[in-house]
Amino acid sequence: MKEIYYKVADHVFALETTGNENVVFDLTQYEPFVTDPTVDVVFRLRLCPTQIDMNDFSLEVVQEDEGQSINAGRIGERPCFQFFLHEKLKGVLVCSTDYRHGEIYAEDCNAFGINNALMVMYALATSDKHTALFHSSVVSYQGKAYMFLGASGTGKSTHSRLWLKYIEGTELINDDNPVVRIHDDGAIIVYGSPWSGKTPCYRNVSYPLGAIVLLAQAPQNVIRRLKPIEAYAALMMSISGKRWDKRLADGLHETESLLATHASMWHLDCLPDEEAAKVCCKEVSVKSGA
Amino acid sequence: MRLKKGFVLREVCSEKVIVGEGAETVDFGKMISLNDTAAMLWKTAEELGDFTVDELADALTEVYEVNREQALSDVQKLTEGWKEAGLAE
Repeated sequence: MKEIYYKVADHVFALETTGNENVVFDLTQYEPFVTDPTVDVVFRLRLCPTQIDMNDFSLEVVQEDEGQSINAGRIGERPCFQFFLHEKLKGVLVCSTDYRHGEIYAEDCNAFGINNALMVMYALATSDKHTALFHSSVVSYQGKAYMFLGASGTGKSTHSRLWLKYIEGTELINDDNPVVRIHDDGAIIVYGSPWSGKTPCYRNVSYPLGAIVLLAQAPQNVIRRLKPIEAYAALMMSISGKRWDKRLADGLHETESLLATHASMWHLDCLPDEEAAKVCCKEVSVKSGA
Repeated sequence: MRLKKGFVLREVCSEKVIVGEGAETVDFGKMISLNDTAAMLWKTAEELGDFTVDELADALTEVYEVNREQALSDVQKLTEGWKEAGLAE
């Protein structure tokens, strides 16, 4: 057996392989996150290059997004997730009820199934640890992280590109799945992750949160602060999780409430143009209470 | 009447809201704000399971200085709103 340890947002997890299967899966995106072995892990995922009997699977929720879908349910008491790409089953994740142990069944050890399994395990295992895996594009500017939220197709990545192009000193932290963690001292820190959607940007970096900006397409560029309740709604929409498990929902609610109360959160009506980035940057980087 | 499964009363920055957190409601996609009275009645309805307008009106008159007629009318309006929003059936 071979074990590899990774650290994302200061949470360590382990990937176990039998060591002799033909791992065609490319682990390059995880390399910046490799860390020393430890017993103190948030979860372990075992790679099983076999099939699993799905006869006893009961479906709870189907989540679809841009040709990918996750069928969540359970096999007996054990939570189970099927990962589909263009309607083809790529892998099946089966977890322990506390989400500390998981097995990913993927005969061909394909990257899609394993990446999804690791992301889901990470989100579930850290839901109660003031940690949230976001759907967001995030940049750094003058030592702070600026996160852009919005429904699929709103232009989160596009808005990051505009900052990179027109605002000097901006760098991309992650384009799709950054992690935000609220530490015990109240510090809100944004972390890069090994998952970044279609953009290969897997940076093991962290920055204190500057601001979170909810984007909406509009014919002009207008920015305003979000009310706490609007901020909460925006966060709920942007954070992955299994909210129909009450314990996990309670954990996410705590994180979202803390962010809605303490983070600098904004709404930006915007065009995909230079002015949008400049209006946004000027307002949120000055008034983020930094 | 009963509250549909999967809706949860949450307190966010001292405001009370109903959010969809069940397997049936994760895609509800909106939040419904409740004032303190409505939140109290929501909790009562949750405890009762199957409930009637009469029962909630009882709860209302026990806690607030309101006559029965007014209570019935308020609860009627509130629960109609819940039904329209898809929170109750």
